[in-house]
Amino acid sequence: MDELEAIKVTFFQECEELLADLEGGLLAIQDGNDDGDTVNAVFRAVHSIKGGAGAFGLEPLVRFAHVFETLLDALRSNEIPGTPDLTALLLRASDVLADHVSSARGLGVVDMDASAAMAAELKIATDPNAAPAAPAPVAAAPVEEAPQYVDAAPIVIGADDGMDDDDLGFDFQPMTITLDAQAADAAVLDDNVWTVSIRPKSDLYRKANETALLLRELSRLGPIQATLDDSAMPALEFLDAEAAYVTWSVRVETDQGEEAIREVFEFVDGDCDLEITRGEAPVADVLATLLDVTAPAPEPEPELEAAPVLIEAPVEEPVMAAPVVEIAEVAPAPAPAPISAPAPATPPVAANAPAAPAEKGGAKPAQIDVPGPGQSVIRVDPERIDHLIDLVGELVINQAMLAQRVGEYGIAPSSNLAMGLDELEQLTRQIQDSVMAIRAQPVKSVFQRMPRLVREVANMTGKQARLVMDGENTEVDKTVIERLADPITHMLRNAIDHGLESPEERKAAGKNPEGVVRLAALHRSGRIVIEVQDDGKGINRERVLSIAVNKGLISPDLTLTDEEIDNLIFLPGFSTADKISDVSGRGVGMDVVKRSVQALGGRISISSRPGLGSTFTLSLPLTLAVLDGMVVDVAGETLVIPLACIVESLRPKLEEIRPLGPTGSVLAVRDSFVPLIDVGLTLNYRSKSPSATEGVVLLVEGEDGSRAALVADAIHGQRQVVIKSLEQNYQQVEGVAAATILGDGRVALILDVDAVINLRRRSPPPVVDPTLIAAE
Amino acid sequence: MTEPNTTHSNETRELISFRVVEQEYCVDIMAVREIRGWSPATTLPQSPSYMRGVINLRGAVLPIMDLACRIGMPTTEPNVRSVFIVVQAGDRTVGLLVDAVSDILSITDDMCQPTPDIACENVRHFVKGIISIEGRMISEISLDRLLPEREALAA
Repeated sequence: MDELEAIKVTFFQECEELLADLEGGLLAIQDGNDDGDTVNAVFRAVHSIKGGAGAFGLEPLVRFAHVFETLLDALRSNEIPGTPDLTALLLRASDVLADHVSSARGLGVVDMDASAAMAAELKIATDPNAAPAAPAPVAAAPVEEAPQYVDAAPIVIGADDGMDDDDLGFDFQPMTITLDAQAADAAVLDDNVWTVSIRPKSDLYRKANETALLLRELSRLGPIQATLDDSAMPALEFLDAEAAYVTWSVRVETDQGEEAIREVFEFVDGDCDLEITRGEAPVADVLATLLDVTAPAPEPEPELEAAPVLIEAPVEEPVMAAPVVEIAEVAPAPAPAPISAPAPATPPVAANAPAAPAEKGGAKPAQIDVPGPGQSVIRVDPERIDHLIDLVGELVINQAMLAQRVGEYGIAPSSNLAMGLDELEQLTRQIQDSVMAIRAQPVKSVFQRMPRLVREVANMTGKQARLVMDGENTEVDKTVIERLADPITHMLRNAIDHGLESPEERKAAGKNPEGVVRLAALHRSGRIVIEVQDDGKGINRERVLSIAVNKGLISPDLTLTDEEIDNLIFLPGFSTADKISDVSGRGVGMDVVKRSVQALGGRISISSRPGLGSTFTLSLPLTLAVLDGMVVDVAGETLVIPLACIVESLRPKLEEIRPLGPTGSVLAVRDSFVPLIDVGLTLNYRSKSPSATEGVVLLVEGEDGSRAALVADAIHGQRQVVIKSLEQNYQQVEGVAAATILGDGRVALILDVDAVINLRRRSPPPVVDPTLIAAE
Repeated sequence: MTEPNTTHSNETRELISFRVVEQEYCVDIMAVREIRGWSPATTLPQSPSYMRGVINLRGAVLPIMDLACRIGMPTTEPNVRSVFIVVQAGDRTVGLLVDAVSDILSITDDMCQPTPDIACENVRHFVKGIISIEGRMISEISLDRLLPEREALAA
C-alpha cells in the first residue's frame, strides 16, 4: 500500500509538470507559435495524465481528460481549425483539468457542474455536428501478431479461463460458434446492441486481471451473451500455461453508449485487443480484424493507437508515446516482455521538456519520450537534502573549530598541518556551495502557476490582461521559492484588480484595451529581485492619502512625499478597494505581503507613475539557509548582524554624539542625525550603556528605510553563517531573528535589526546617569 | 549509565529520577533523549528567568531550562557536576538543567498518587503525580506544561 502511495505521489508530481507543460504549450499556441509539435506536446500531456489517472482509477479525472484529449486529437489531425476562441477554450479546459488533478489529490473539490459544462463545450468543439455516437478515440492496443495460433488444433475447454461461476453476475454457457448463426442474428440490427470482441493478451492475466470480471462488468450495462472462440487453443502438449489463446465475442444489449463499454476496459487498456461495433457484427469479420495484422483495420474510427498507427508509426505519426512502447511489446514471442501498462509507463519525463516546443529538433518520437542517459533526473525527498545541508553546516563549524584550536597551539601557517587545514577549508566551502546548489531551483515552478491566476482574476474583474514573464529560469533556493508564491499571487491580483483599468477606460485613455502585467525575476547583487509591473493607471495618491487619513492610519496634517504616500498601502488595515470584490478584500492586505517578505529577510518597494502604471519590487535573499553577517561582541555576548542591513561601520568621535532629550542620543553622520541604539541595553544584556566612543557603531537601515546607529563593543569580522531556527525548539524571541553556531561550537544569536529599532522606539531606555550622557 | 530497559508492559513504566534542590523529581524515560554534562549557554534576551539560554547540540539550537527556577524555586547555579536532561516535549526538544540524575525506576500505576491538595499552584501545574517508592517521594514532571506556549510576537 505504501508503495502504491509512493507511486501516486510521483504521479501527482508528474501531473504538476504535465499541467505546466500543457498550459505552457497552450499559451505558446495562443501567442501564435502553433507548430505541430506544440499541439502534439499538449496532446501528450493530457494523454499522459489520463493514462496515469486510469491506472489509479481516478474516474472523474479520466473522464474529463478523455473528452479533452478527444478535442486535442481532432485539433492535431487538423479535423478542426485552431482558432483563438478554441485556444481560450482549451486554456479554460486545462484549468478544469488542473482542478480535477487537485481534487484527485485531495486538495480541494472540483465543481462537477462546471466540469460537466466544460466537457460538453469540449464535445461540441470536437464535433459541431455531434454525430450521435461519435467514436471516441480511445487508445486501443495494436494487434498482436499471432500466426502460430491459427493453425493450432482446436480443443474444447469448458468454463475454464480461471473463472469461478459462483461469483459472476451472469450465466455462463460455453458454446461453439457457428458463423452462420451469427450472421443470421446480425439481421436483427438494433441500436442498443453492441458486439464487443475481446482478445486478452497474456499480459492481462499477468496483471491479475480476468476476462470473467470484465464480462461481469459488461453484464452490468445490460444483458449479455458471450461467445468463446477457442479455435486458437493449441493441443494440450503445446499449451503454454501462461499464454492467452481465447477470444470472446460478447453481444451486449445496452442503452448506454460506446463510452460506457469502453470504460469497462479502462484498466486493461493495451492488455487486450478490443473491438466494439454497433450492432451484431458477424464474428468472422471481427476475427479477421484481430487475426490479420497485415490488413488495415476496417473501421474508419480514428483509433489513435490502433493497428494503422502501428504500421505507419515510423513514417507518419511523429508523436505518440504509447505506440512506441507497444511496438516493443509486439514481439513475435507469444509472451511479450512484462512491461507495465503502456500509458503510465511512458509519461513524458519532465526534464526533457523544459518548454513545450523543445521537441522541435526533429528527433524521433522514441527519443523524445524516453529519457536519454544524459537527461535523467533524480527525485529526492527534500528532507534528505535538508539533512545534508545541516551536516555540511556542522562540517563548516567543525572545520572552523579545528582551525581555531590549531591556531591556539601556535602552529606555523607554513606547516603541513596548517596547509592541510587550509585545503580542508576550501573543500568545505566547495561542498557547501554545491549542496546549496542542489536546492537551487528555477523560479519557474512558482511562475507557471501565474498565467491561470491572471486569467481568472481578469475574468472576475472584467479586465483584459496579458501576462508577460521574464527570467523564469532564475535560480533560487527551494526554501525561498516555496514562500514566493503567496506574495507574487497577491501582487499580481492587485496589479490586475487595482492597477489595470477596465478596457473602456483604457481605450478612452488611448491605451491598448488589453493591459500588460509583467512578472520578472532576476539576480541582483546576491539577492533575487522579483518585479511585478503593470501598465495601468498607477496609484491614485489623493485617494490613498484620504483613505489613510479616514481610517486614522496617519494624522491629517502630515505632508508626505509621493513615495511616502505610495508606501501607505503597506500599512495594516489599509485597503483601496471601494467595495469588497471576489478578488480583494479577503483580509489579506499588502501589509501581510510585506510582513511575509520581511520574514524572508526581504524588502518590498513600489514605484508608481500616474497613468503609466506601477512596479512592485521584491528583493529577497537567495537562500534562507545561510546568511552573510558581521560578528560583533556586545556585553560579553557574540551576536551576528545581517550584512544586508549594514550600511557602514565607524568609530564615532565624541563631538559626533549629541544627547537628545533625557535619555536619547543621536549620531551625526554627514549632516544627518541618526538615533544611537546600544544593542546590549536594548536586549537587556546590561543595564547601562558604556560611552559610545569606546565601542563601534554600525550604521544600519531597517526595512522601512529608517536608519539607526547600533553600538557594539567590538567587531570580530564578517562571516557566512548557517541559520538555525530558534522557534523549532523554543519560540520567537523579540530582537533575535535566528541563531547560528560559531566556530567554537557556541550558539550566537542573529540580530533582528528591525525589531531592535522598534524595541527602542517603543521603550526608550531608562534614565541613566546624566553625567554619562554629558560625557558622551 | 544504565541501559534503559526497553521491555514495557501495560502496567510498568520506567522513569528517570533526578535531584532538584534536594527534592526528587522524575520524567518518563521515553521522553528522555540523552543526559549531558553542563556547558555554558548563550543567553537569550527578553526571556523568562528560567530560560538559561541556548546551546549547540550537534548542530541544533537547544534551549536550556532551569527546572528549579521553572517550578518556582531559586535559580540553580550550575557547576561542573550539573547535568541537563534532553527531553522531547511535544514537537520541541529542550534541555532541563538539574542538580544530578539519581536512577531509573520501574513503577506501576498503583504506585502513583495524585498531587496532594496543599501544593502551591506551581507544583499543581507542573507535577503530574507523586510516586512513593522505597520510602522516597518522587514527583513526576508534566513535560508538556514546562515550555511556554508559543506566542506570535509582533514583528
